Amino acid sequence: MSLPGLDLSAPVETVVTPTVHELKEQTEWRFEVAYGTKVEVRLLSGTAELFGTELPIKQSYTFTGTKAAIYTWHGCRIEVVGDCQVDYIAEETPMMIYANLHFALENLRDRANSEGIDGPRVLIVGSENAGKTSLVKVLTAYATKVGRQPVVVNLDTKEGMLSIPGTLSATTFTSVIDVENGWGSSPMNGPSQVPVKLPLVYYIGLANPEERTLIYKPVVTRLALSVMNRLQDDGEAKETGVIIDTPGIISQGKGGYEMIQHIVSEFSVSAVVVLGSERLYSDMLRRFNGQKTGTGETIAVVKVDKSGGCVDRDEAYLQQFRQFQIREYFFGDANTTLSPHTQQIDFHQLTIYKLAEPIDDLLKSLMPGDVTEDSTSAIFDKVRPSPQMQNAILTIVNAHPEDTQENIRDASVMGFIYVADVDEKKNKLKVLAPVGGRLPNKAIIWGSWPEGISDLM
Amino acid sequence: MSVGLPSDEVAEDYKNSLEDLTINSRYEISNLTVIAKENTEHAMAISRVLENHIKNTPPDRKLPALYVLDSVVKNVGTPYTLFLGRNLYTIFMNAYSLVNNQVRRKLDEMLKTWKEPVPGSLDPRPVFPLETIRPIENALIKARTAAIQAQQQQQSRAQQEAMARTRPMATPNPQWRNTPTPPQARGPYYPPPQQMYGPQHVPNGNYQAQPQYPPTATYPVPPQPTATIYHPPYPQPQVYSQPQQPPNSSDPIHQDVEKLISAARSEFSSNVNDDSLRIRLQALLALQGALKSQTLTPQEFQAARNEVARLFAEVYGTSRPVASAPPRTPIPPTYVPPQQVPQQQRPAQVPTPQNPDIQSLLSSRNLADIIAKAQQAPATPPISLLPFSQPQPAPQNSSIPSLSANLGDMLASLKSKGILSGASITPVNGSHGYAPPPAAIQTPPTVPGGFPRPALVNDVEVISASLKRPRINLVSTLYESRPNQCSTCGRRFLATAEGKERKARHLDWHFRTNQRLADSAKRGQNRSWYVDELEWIRSRDNPEDVPLTDASSDAARAALAASYAAADPKNKHIPVPSDPALANQPCPICQEKFDMVWNDEVQDFVWMDAMKIGNRVYHASCHSEVKKEGGTTPLRISTPDSVLGKRKAVGDYNTGNAKAVKA
Ligand SMILES: [Zn+2]
Ligand SMILES: [Zn+2]
Repeated sequence: MSLPGLDLSAPVETVVTPTVHELKEQTEWRFEVAYGTKVEVRLLSGTAELFGTELPIKQSYTFTGTKAAIYTWHGCRIEVVGDCQVDYIAEETPMMIYANLHFALENLRDRANSEGIDGPRVLIVGSENAGKTSLVKVLTAYATKVGRQPVVVNLDTKEGMLSIPGTLSATTFTSVIDVENGWGSSPMNGPSQVPVKLPLVYYIGLANPEERTLIYKPVVTRLALSVMNRLQDDGEAKETGVIIDTPGIISQGKGGYEMIQHIVSEFSVSAVVVLGSERLYSDMLRRFNGQKTGTGETIAVVKVDKSGGCVDRDEAYLQQFRQFQIREYFFGDANTTLSPHTQQIDFHQLTIYKLAEPIDDLLKSLMPGDVTEDSTSAIFDKVRPSPQMQNAILTIVNAHPEDTQENIRDASVMGFIYVADVDEKKNKLKVLAPVGGRLPNKAIIWGSWPEGISDLM
Repeated sequence: MSVGLPSDEVAEDYKNSLEDLTINSRYEISNLTVIAKENTEHAMAISRVLENHIKNTPPDRKLPALYVLDSVVKNVGTPYTLFLGRNLYTIFMNAYSLVNNQVRRKLDEMLKTWKEPVPGSLDPRPVFPLETIRPIENALIKARTAAIQAQQQQQSRAQQEAMARTRPMATPNPQWRNTPTPPQARGPYYPPPQQMYGPQHVPNGNYQAQPQYPPTATYPVPPQPTATIYHPPYPQPQVYSQPQQPPNSSDPIHQDVEKLISAARSEFSSNVNDDSLRIRLQALLALQGALKSQTLTPQEFQAARNEVARLFAEVYGTSRPVASAPPRTPIPPTYVPPQQVPQQQRPAQVPTPQNPDIQSLLSSRNLADIIAKAQQAPATPPISLLPFSQPQPAPQNSSIPSLSANLGDMLASLKSKGILSGASITPVNGSHGYAPPPAAIQTPPTVPGGFPRPALVNDVEVISASLKRPRINLVSTLYESRPNQCSTCGRRFLATAEGKERKARHLDWHFRTNQRLADSAKRGQNRSWYVDELEWIRSRDNPEDVPLTDASSDAARAALAASYAAADPKNKHIPVPSDPALANQPCPICQEKFDMVWNDEVQDFVWMDAMKIGNRVYHASCHSEVKKEGGTTPLRISTPDSVLGKRKAVGDYNTGNAKAVKA
């Protein structure tokens, strides 16, 4: 039997010769791997880290659909097998500043410990592709490395953290972050090589939070409340504090700054870290410098350099990334195969709420002056399944199907289901659910984001 | 080292392999199953190829092709069941319509097994959902009925039509020569549409008697040398359960490893604090896993065999003949253990922090020792804050192969392929060859002991100017002050007693996880529902390395959990029964199956809301309900509806961190 490249009786010997990169101390190897191709990287000697998470010697890591950098404090040799779209060694990096930020936070954490107050709540702001998530990862990895337990909050609906896009989430980190795959995995009913992380998830269902502040703001408030509760309940988390990632769009001024203000007050943010933009920095200084948090601390505003490795991610890549996150939710990643369950459900068994269309400006102009968005529009429309729902991702939230719209909006997420088929003749839906058995009797939200995915199964 | 292939290449390879599958060969079908299993990320492409192959392959090759499908869905399961389930009706009916009666009978058997759980599996779900199978069954029934009716009226015409056709078979099948009546002599077989379906099911049987269609003669069953035949699922599940068994599975190495493991285990259990014993046991288990995974190259297999033979001789004092092994290569006296190289080449003013006895390493021809030593290597030499200062890369001593080094390499390569991830399986030569870029040569650290001891005053403030000033010395808090590193995931630990303790727990966690990973491959895993707010607020990440010394709070937590559990029958659980018969039994009261979840506390899969009484397992809630109603023998209960609602709430328990969350 001919099995070129697939003969399992012998390990596949590479036809590609491995490339060895020698990195001087405090430099990094930047690389991009397309979806559909794989690149294997091993640290041969020295030390190396990916967004702050250290790679052990000789352990091989496989990357796909990745834009990342491997940094070394001490110098190292790495071996690379496979084709990168782009790869080069960069000598100028802002890692020293990022590390210093970590050390500065460590000082505040020590102080929190000795004085019994909350650790720092750090907000990272910056434009799209400024490297916000990478900085959050570095700070998280360094904190866990020295034994802290930070609460990490993602407020960017463009990509999920331990969840799919369209969601906000919070997670405490105590164990290493997955090197190969984003933030790692949320719990499964089985083991995982990299410890799973336990996120608390909320659903927004929109790519742009400014599109519907009526949704985004109250959900941020609710998430902040849960995080504050956690800090009061969990000494380690309280001492370490919170690191908050944000969507780039709110750093563009106007309504976005209102959103930043909202986040700062809800999370009692004590440090605003501006990535890159000088203008944003001065705007943030004007707004927050010298202001006090709810607990009486003075808010610090600092600027740190953007990494030259930050690349613009085009829409095609981002769409693949979203689909990857959805696929991973149901089917697992390269290391863990998950078995979602399909089932047929009668229309009447599900109570589905669709995000209501926002009132557009024209309509608003026709209404009496004192009528605001908040007082007129419903949050959701209750809908019956329809063929438009095919390929959609539905979100099950921890709320009774007939609960108030506000409660449904603010409820945390239980999980997601995928609509594989809508049979209008039989009034049946075919859905893919992560867990088998009858779907929980909860409210279900149909949002506009992330978009449907046609080839999930 | 394996390089990931894009989907279309994998698909192309799979297609070619399928095309070579001409007979019912268990070996090839197993191989194709393994490939499917190893490439689940390309499941969609593979499924498409398989589907097309079944559709396009000549009728006499459809059965082996369908056996591949059968084997893949049963041994790998999702996502293949999803992808292949989509068009299963077309795949199956199309094939059924073109094959002879004998093959149809096989297909009927196969279809029957798809409605049931995989034999021996703990997953109680059928292979394919019933809604996928039912349309096929209905179509077959309809077709058979139609065939009977049509047969009465159109028998003779059908015969004529069939006679008139010529059979479009490209290459004569050599097997025909073995048949007593070559099909050519009988005329071509081409089933007319009316007679498509399963004549063997025609009750009166006269259809089979038609001379034109002697099934065995027309479409010869593939040759049946018993050893190579792929056995369809039932009734030989035992053949089925080990599809990947290659020829060397009977190699005595397996028993030897087994014996070594049990010896190591008993030694370890009587001395659990001895790290070297634990590492040895882990290494052996890892080795066993590797051997069972059947992915070793012949060289690796031979290296493993040599190692095992040597260890066996060492432990039992008798040497086993090493079958087909080359005479043991004596380790040349010049052999320098790789991890020593950097130290020897360090500049003289850098004292070697430890002075490991090279001779002892050499003479201890003990796998565990070597692995253990390799494990300690990352801490020695200490990483200096300044660039690594060895002037020359370590010379490669690959020309002096060492058996142990080979094994280390082998384990490393397995690990890199994801087959192994043993915490302590550090490749023996993993730490040699520090080769800093030439430009990086600087003054070596002059601090005694090689450790830089800068004043670690952390004066960084959250002020832009303060952040800009480099403080390279502080970076040592991330590296040098935690010299004790896990070689699997890179996590670092302090050099203190507490750090050591944490690391030991951490390694235990890896060890347990690896064992669970091996087990979990057999059961379907799925994503859990997310926790709700209260659970999240109360949850504590339970890092594997938290010291258990805090007994008071742990005990309090356990007591609390226990009191919750005692109050609520839904929290009663038992380990999933290992007896497959029992594992497939529903609750005798409500006739529903049990919910299986992972329980962190007992480190095993459990049935929630379950209790065992005698030889039966009941839902604890059903049982207590029945008892409340005064019944003493729950078996008599015939109206289970009253308790059905109770159990549904248990689903919320289904989180990976059940323990942490509930505590
Ligand atoms: Zn580890
Ligand atoms: Zn029951």
